[in-house]
Amino acid sequence: MTAASLARRPRAPNKGRAEALAGYLFIAVPMALFLVLNVGSIVYALFISVWKWNLRSGPVEFTGLRNYGTALSDPIFQTAIRNTLYYAVVWVPLTMALGLFLAVIVNQKIHGQTFFRAAFYFPAIASSAAITTLWIFIMAPDGIFNQVRGMVGLNPLFSLLGFTANQNWIGDQGTAMNTIILLNAWTTSGTFMLFYLASLQSISHEVYEAAAIDGAGAWQTFRRITFPLLKPGHYFVATVAVIGALQLFDQALIGGGVDGAPNNALMTMVLYLYNAAFKQFNFSYAAAIGIILFVVIFTATLVQRRLFGQAPAW
Amino acid sequence: MRRQLLAALAALTIVVTACGGSATSSPSQAAPSAAASAASASASAAAPASAAASASPAGFDANAISGPVVLSGWQSSPAEGNALTQALLSFQATYPNVKVDYQPVAGDYPTVMAPKFASHDVPDLFYVNADYAQEWIAGGFLAPLDDYIAKSAFDTSQFFPGYASIFKGADGKTYGFPKDGNTIAMAYNTALVTSAPKTLDALVTLAQSLKGKSGLKAPICLNPGLDRGLAFLYAQGGSLLTADGKASAIDTAPSKAAIQWYMDLFKSGLGMTASDMGAGWCGDALGKKSAAIIFEGGWLDPSMTSTYPDVKYAWAQLPTGSSGSPVTISFTVSYSIGADSKNKDQAWVLLQYLTGKDGMTKWTQGGVALPARKDVPTPAGKDVLAASSAFAKPGSGFMVGWPAVQKAFQDAFTAQIQGKTFNADPVITATKAAIDKALAGG
Repeated sequence: MTAASLARRPRAPNKGRAEALAGYLFIAVPMALFLVLNVGSIVYALFISVWKWNLRSGPVEFTGLRNYGTALSDPIFQTAIRNTLYYAVVWVPLTMALGLFLAVIVNQKIHGQTFFRAAFYFPAIASSAAITTLWIFIMAPDGIFNQVRGMVGLNPLFSLLGFTANQNWIGDQGTAMNTIILLNAWTTSGTFMLFYLASLQSISHEVYEAAAIDGAGAWQTFRRITFPLLKPGHYFVATVAVIGALQLFDQALIGGGVDGAPNNALMTMVLYLYNAAFKQFNFSYAAAIGIILFVVIFTATLVQRRLFGQAPAW
Repeated sequence: MRRQLLAALAALTIVVTACGGSATSSPSQAAPSAAASAASASASAAAPASAAASASPAGFDANAISGPVVLSGWQSSPAEGNALTQALLSFQATYPNVKVDYQPVAGDYPTVMAPKFASHDVPDLFYVNADYAQEWIAGGFLAPLDDYIAKSAFDTSQFFPGYASIFKGADGKTYGFPKDGNTIAMAYNTALVTSAPKTLDALVTLAQSLKGKSGLKAPICLNPGLDRGLAFLYAQGGSLLTADGKASAIDTAPSKAAIQWYMDLFKSGLGMTASDMGAGWCGDALGKKSAAIIFEGGWLDPSMTSTYPDVKYAWAQLPTGSSGSPVTISFTVSYSIGADSKNKDQAWVLLQYLTGKDGMTKWTQGGVALPARKDVPTPAGKDVLAASSAFAKPGSGFMVGWPAVQKAFQDAFTAQIQGKTFNADPVITATKAAIDKALAGG
């Protein structure tokens, strides 16, 4: 705004250059930090990944793309990729739908609106370590979840699906990942609700009035007005969600330890990277995994950009 | 115009600083670190040499050494902190010229230590868990101690071989001495088990009689991995490696039979994992009375006293199996000197005290762990566990790549018991592949 008002004033041509210079000066420090700490690290990781690397003494032997080959042919890494993609494919739409649903509800003029907004957002404030530990207790074989479903008589339904009364939800290879998906859908939906709420409020009231005059019902209004006009919101939430999903780590680590137990059911790409670095002390291999992860996330983001058209200009 | 010039100058300065920063931190970090490691290599080569020159005829005189030493390790309980404080106080009384600066590490220990190794800024003396000792030795993070052992005539014969052997590198050199140890033995609820089984056959018979007793989810709590399974593998006459440690022995007939026997405990419902009992670990399962018999080490005692004081239990040696002789596995942690330590002499003075008879006596009287030496008296209440040290084999860290071997076994074993197929063959195939890969150098 200052720049715009200044621009109206007539001034000498070299004044503009001075201003531009000042502008660059202002961004120089954060940009330098970004280049060194972010871009620099990525380039350095790329460098490390083509060596056999000793943590203490540096490069030992040039290995070219061997680390990448080893990773892609390792069945555990393949499982990690599969698990991560499965998590992204199930968790992202589920949590987006939940977030949107909550946002639409708390966007209504209802009593206790603020309370509900706070309540739905609450799990997002708790630290992921704390809430995952809580979840492990809830979903334990003799945890609250199994007790409650027994009490309300849901066990016949669960046994139809093949689950015993004492199902070990996080400890069983068949259910571990889905249990983590539920946990994260619950904890993250509040954050997505907040994003959607901001988007919802940017939709002009006139559009709704026009729809009401045309006799649109609640569902039609949502389907034809709200949902399409939320496109920038969808793009933002989906991008954030996919990046977050591909970086799934803490819940998997706390739920299944550094080995992704049981039987790699909770092994994710980042956990595999962590395992390579801090359990096997193979840092060049871990760097290669990091680069692969970078490529996967970058590709996913580009694909989303295509799907949602041009990104809104914020 | 002057302001513009000033601004340009400032911008230039920032750009130059930024470039300088990126140059040191990214592509050429290899060069300074290589130089630093060369420097420290020459320093470490020089240090013992000069020590040898100054004190050559008399060897290493610990009392003549003075200066600071930084000691680091993790600390898992206040009791552990107190025990270490006692040991360090008595060290300071004996060697007043060496000043100990104790800096415990919070958080995941290897994760915290890794950047220290990378930046050549390490504590002088620190804990090394057997789990990753071979990786740290192979990585060159630890200083060899052979010169110090020879010069100060340090008596290594008193260490239990099961503990001390872990900290020898592939080059035959010694990279640390055990600060203490822990063995795996059988703990049982005395309200349910009146006399401890002496053999594994008797254990199975006892477990069958306990099955279905009130509150018990299973008679025995078992881990689906080698962290306990290895003890039973040895007890039943099997082995992971051949005697010389150079080849896999997991696919021999006794090994196969042993793993199938262990898996059948899960099949018959005599054994269950802590996770399936809704417990964090088997000690928890004993405390909650979900299991009557568990296989743990000395760490069980403080946890039972503080969390489940009403549950009465007793210790017994691991029952003998078809191998006929008593055997179990043990875990240990060393004191090692950092390869980049700047105070190696001071660190050695502290190391030889803490792993020596007096220091280890002070430390183990704290009740946290067992002595790793034969000449240290057994702490109160640790008779069974301490006696097991004499015949215990290393439970981890005895080969490079052990974490991957352990993971391969546990993944395959879990798949079998959760898939209810209970077949030991896929476990053996997966473990053998991991062992072969590790022995071939990863």
